[in-house]
Amino acid sequence: MALAAPAAEKRYSERREKLAAFMQNGPGVFGLVLVVLFFVSAIFAPWIAPYDPNALDIPARLSDPGWAHFAGTDQLGRDTFSRVLYGGRVALKIAAIGVSLSLFLGLVFGILAGYGPRWLDNLLLLTFDTVRSFPLIVLALATVAVTGPSLELVLVIIIVTSIPGYARLARTSTLALRNTEFIVAERSLGAGNWRIMGRHIMPNVVGPLLILGAMDVPVVVTVEAGLSFLGLGVLPPTASWGTILNEGYLVIRDTPWMVVAGGVPLVLTTLGFTFLGEALRDVFDPRLRKGS
Amino acid sequence: MESQLSIRNLGVDFRTPLGRVHALRDVSFEVPKGRILGIVGESGSGKSTVIWTVLRLLAGNAIVTGGEIDFGGRDVLDFGEADLRQYRGEDVSVVFQDPMTSQIPVLTYGQQMLDVLYRRRNMTVAQKRQLAVDMMRRVGIADPESRIEAYPHQFSGGMRQRISIAMALMMDPFLLIADEPTTALDVTMEAQIMHLMRSLQQELQATLIVVSHNLGLIAQLCDEVVVMYAGEVVERGDVRQIFYSAQHPYTRALIECDPARVLERSRALPTIPGDVPDLRTPPVGCVFAPRCPKVFDLCRTVAPPSYDAGDGHEARCHLLHPEQGDPDWPPPIGEIRVFESQRPASDGRAPAAAATPPRGGVAPAAAPTAPLLEVENLRVRFRTAGAFRALVRGIADPHVDGVRSASFALRRGETLGIVGESGSGKTTAARAILGLVRTHSGSVRYQGRDITNLPPAAFKPLRRDMAMMFQDPVGSLSPRKTVLSLLTEPFDIHRVPVEDRYREAERLCDTVKFPRNFLSRYPHELSGGQARRVGVARALALQPKLVLADEPTAGLDVSVQGEILNLMAELQRTHGLGYVIITHNLPVVRHISDRLAIMYLGRIVEYGDSEKIFAQPAHPYTEALVNGIPRPDPDRRRTLVSIEGEVPSLARRPPGCEFHPRCPYAQERCRIEEPLDRALSDGRTIRCHFPLVA
Amino acid sequence: MWLYSLKRAGLAVVIVLCTLFVLFALLRFIPGDPITIALGPRATPEAIARYVEKMQLDSSLLVQFLVYAKNALTGDLGTAIFSERPVATIVMEVLPNTLILAAVGLGWSVLIGVPLGCFAAIRPNSPLDRITGFISVGTIAVPAFLVSIWSLLLFAIELRILPVIGAGEDGDIVGQAVHLILPAFAVGLGWVGYLARLVRASMLEVMGENYIRAARAYGLPQNTIVYRYALRVAVLPTITLIGIGFGGLLSGAVFAEIIFQRPGAGLLIYDSVVGRNFPIVQGAVLVITIVYIAATLLADLAVAWLDPRVRETL
Repeated sequence: MALAAPAAEKRYSERREKLAAFMQNGPGVFGLVLVVLFFVSAIFAPWIAPYDPNALDIPARLSDPGWAHFAGTDQLGRDTFSRVLYGGRVALKIAAIGVSLSLFLGLVFGILAGYGPRWLDNLLLLTFDTVRSFPLIVLALATVAVTGPSLELVLVIIIVTSIPGYARLARTSTLALRNTEFIVAERSLGAGNWRIMGRHIMPNVVGPLLILGAMDVPVVVTVEAGLSFLGLGVLPPTASWGTILNEGYLVIRDTPWMVVAGGVPLVLTTLGFTFLGEALRDVFDPRLRKGS
Repeated sequence: MESQLSIRNLGVDFRTPLGRVHALRDVSFEVPKGRILGIVGESGSGKSTVIWTVLRLLAGNAIVTGGEIDFGGRDVLDFGEADLRQYRGEDVSVVFQDPMTSQIPVLTYGQQMLDVLYRRRNMTVAQKRQLAVDMMRRVGIADPESRIEAYPHQFSGGMRQRISIAMALMMDPFLLIADEPTTALDVTMEAQIMHLMRSLQQELQATLIVVSHNLGLIAQLCDEVVVMYAGEVVERGDVRQIFYSAQHPYTRALIECDPARVLERSRALPTIPGDVPDLRTPPVGCVFAPRCPKVFDLCRTVAPPSYDAGDGHEARCHLLHPEQGDPDWPPPIGEIRVFESQRPASDGRAPAAAATPPRGGVAPAAAPTAPLLEVENLRVRFRTAGAFRALVRGIADPHVDGVRSASFALRRGETLGIVGESGSGKTTAARAILGLVRTHSGSVRYQGRDITNLPPAAFKPLRRDMAMMFQDPVGSLSPRKTVLSLLTEPFDIHRVPVEDRYREAERLCDTVKFPRNFLSRYPHELSGGQARRVGVARALALQPKLVLADEPTAGLDVSVQGEILNLMAELQRTHGLGYVIITHNLPVVRHISDRLAIMYLGRIVEYGDSEKIFAQPAHPYTEALVNGIPRPDPDRRRTLVSIEGEVPSLARRPPGCEFHPRCPYAQERCRIEEPLDRALSDGRTIRCHFPLVA
Repeated sequence: MWLYSLKRAGLAVVIVLCTLFVLFALLRFIPGDPITIALGPRATPEAIARYVEKMQLDSSLLVQFLVYAKNALTGDLGTAIFSERPVATIVMEVLPNTLILAAVGLGWSVLIGVPLGCFAAIRPNSPLDRITGFISVGTIAVPAFLVSIWSLLLFAIELRILPVIGAGEDGDIVGQAVHLILPAFAVGLGWVGYLARLVRASMLEVMGENYIRAARAYGLPQNTIVYRYALRVAVLPTITLIGIGFGGLLSGAVFAEIIFQRPGAGLLIYDSVVGRNFPIVQGAVLVITIVYIAATLLADLAVAWLDPRVRETL
């Protein structure tokens, strides 16, 4: 039963419809605001921050929040608020590189696993299952034992442990598509495997991965913070939310404000990206609502 | 006659983001006690909405705008939660359309049936279980004592539907509603279920409502019929009144479009042009007026009331108006068609003889000597388990034969129909021909050249000549590509230089009468019929010589399936195409194919001229299939079911003639010895020890 | 069911072997001499010779790996540097603490999260549903280690109502339980929200299925439909995800142990990394990984027990 709307008008209204649906999603808009806040504060930190994050001011150490220092100062007198802003830059860097690389590699591996020969699928699955068998922190600790702490290490660990998640999703979608009629139809037209994977499977599979990526950003940022907190990642004196928490933990009996200041941006970032990701998922692909 | 259920002036709306859809308008009919009532309609008719309303199980966005449903003196629409719990399952019960999704997969049937019997508090668990077992036996499940502990996924579709019927009847309801009970089943299973329902109804004197789009089913099963179109009841009466003297033009057209009814083969199937109206704004006058060939002025301005045609027969059509109606209306069915000009000017067909000229209009003399396609002893095997898994499970040979042995040929301009039920191997054979699955043995020749298992690079140029149309019209189109890019993709794949892609795409659209301004749409924005046209256009893009069509009419309403078929026939005439049509829809294939190959468990059991096969089936399986078609003729009801049992699993093929466990004519020899192909005197090939025709 | 269990266990064993391989390879990459790494800088020549003999360090890498694997699977995880005690013993001393923490953390979150999600799904958009949604997001937003830090701050330091560090004295059950409160709370909090949303989403999806509609048409009472039919199906992906998420739970437990200075496998690993006591690192990581693999195995078996269709997939 065909509805009477002509083609152009209908497609236009479909886009508008999706935008309208998104705008009506309260949490989604809220999340968008937080995400924008995150980006803006991270990118423009050098201009927004009232102090140099590494500037020492021993006399003012461990002070409470006030007009001079919005979030107080740490044990070396550095302004916590500025350090938090600069910590956002670290978070942004890790998130951007970490999520995009793992997404891309996960997409490639997943499609290969789903569409390629059985032995490749089994091999990749086994690899993913093995990597995923290590609880993240444990793997990080073991690796640090080998190489020593560094930001690059954190990034590598994050990417390696995130790839299986994306790859699994891509693989499942690819498998579902593999036997659909349109793939068989393409083969009957004479399309080769690479063409099918690149032009037909990939565009249909990448959507859920992008949404997973959006929801993965807070996970990545949290992992970095956690590892840096343990001293395994970013090292002092660099400002990262994790190092702020670390230093704050060490002086927790003297002042509570550092752990608060280091933690709040984490919470807000998580809230923002989670709301945004879910709103996007609800609008674009409601079928994804099942579980992780 | 006393009524079990009375529906009066029922109206139901749905609130959708695009507006309010008036799905049911002023629906009224009676369900007589102890009889079978059929509700006939196509998609959008509202027939399913009616039964969901009767059950009070409408979706959240539905609003009942008026009317009443009288059950035993009370209005169902007023029932509260407690009343509904009593009513559902106890007073009214349902058999659903798709047995695969309407039974919970994680509980055994025993558990599910015991749950349904929760109301019988005076029965012990053992007694309930016994009742369930008895019910299962009654619907034809063998060994119900042990099978009751099995899970749904361990049963086939036909079995599951039988158990659905058992569950519905267990509570001995006053009214049983069957929603498209056989749509998801094979033809032979359909016949069995129909027979089962009829015998149970007689035995229990139950009142039954059967909802279906299948006129044959309705004619075979029902005593009374209600015809619905676009949310209204357009006609109602007893079954003979409807089928032999239908008053409403829609009913007549529906009956005339049914290919099972059109007794002589006709080249072009009738259709009802146009679409169901948008129910957000139903037309002012008669809802069928935009498509009605007998429309006149009154129809467009005044909605017709239900006119009485005598003896409980009513129709909503102004042709019955005492003053302004047509006194000569209606003509007897079959004499004058509602739609006159469906046949092309000259039929030009020679009477059925040995050399039937192909319908493509290319006379045999002018045809190339080599057949377009020749398949010989085709065999296709599948692995059922990987090497490791087979080892672990102890399977000696983890293969099954999807196609055991198939031989047939096709000339230019001809249409070959490959007919079979699920598991017959027909789709596998098609894919093997196109090189999409590996052939194990046998040969496929195209224009004399052996193309069996040709490597992909070598096969690629041939793909320009051999195209396929797929069963799922929307699903066979890549979801994120516009129609434009889908139509022009074949050119890219085969590197055919195209001056103006847009012009090419437009040309293809015109060929299949697809609106040009839809080129920018995506597959999910197309209707089933439109998507099919895109499929046809794409198949024709590079001007193939051979087209394989997999279930070309699946999912299409009877009144529109003619459009696609007529289009295909026309294209065949113009271009001299050869078609291989794969289908389980016998009435359709009869009209469009020159020859038929009937497949069972991967073998062709009968092969030859299609008219002869239908007139006089030679193989018992063919006979069962042909007889199993529910004929839309209430006076010709089959009282016997010609075939029992189910299609065996490919992994456990019966010995000897594989059909023998279900064959009513089986003899000792059939159990031991596999029959070979042999020719009959009229040119048919058959695989049977005791053919029904010499 | 048994056949499936066997096959699934076999798969788990294969994965354990792969993790052994990874750990083996990992330690081969440590800059430095493997012997010094394993035995410490103060090892005697005799100890070194014994070690070379035992681990077959003169043979090929494959043989070394096989020796390592065989040792590990028979319980010999090497000896710690400095203390010379068997690593296996050291790890087993503290492992129960970690397991208890993980179990209690998961336990309380399941007890609260699953029913919450279920009730929210039965009455969508009701006040209960909205509150549940609010709580869920709130608890998910705060990462486990942050919950640890903040609850330490709030309850132990500011309010002084709960102990700050340690696991309590042996034999003092009440004391141990009290010491368990904050860490278990921190470990489980995020899961409450996660489980509630998961169960809610799963239930909503299942309630829309055809077989639920059929069950209603048969007149089954609402309780039966929700608990016996819908929940039973909806809980399946939840169990699977709990199995997979157990790794995250263990990570959270590790953080909690470090922050609350609570003896356990996590704290052990951390201290050993800092103290460069590699045999312990290797052994403890292996044990924790095996625990995780066992958890996913249990989850898969539970799903197969509840859903008969799964039993045919292996």
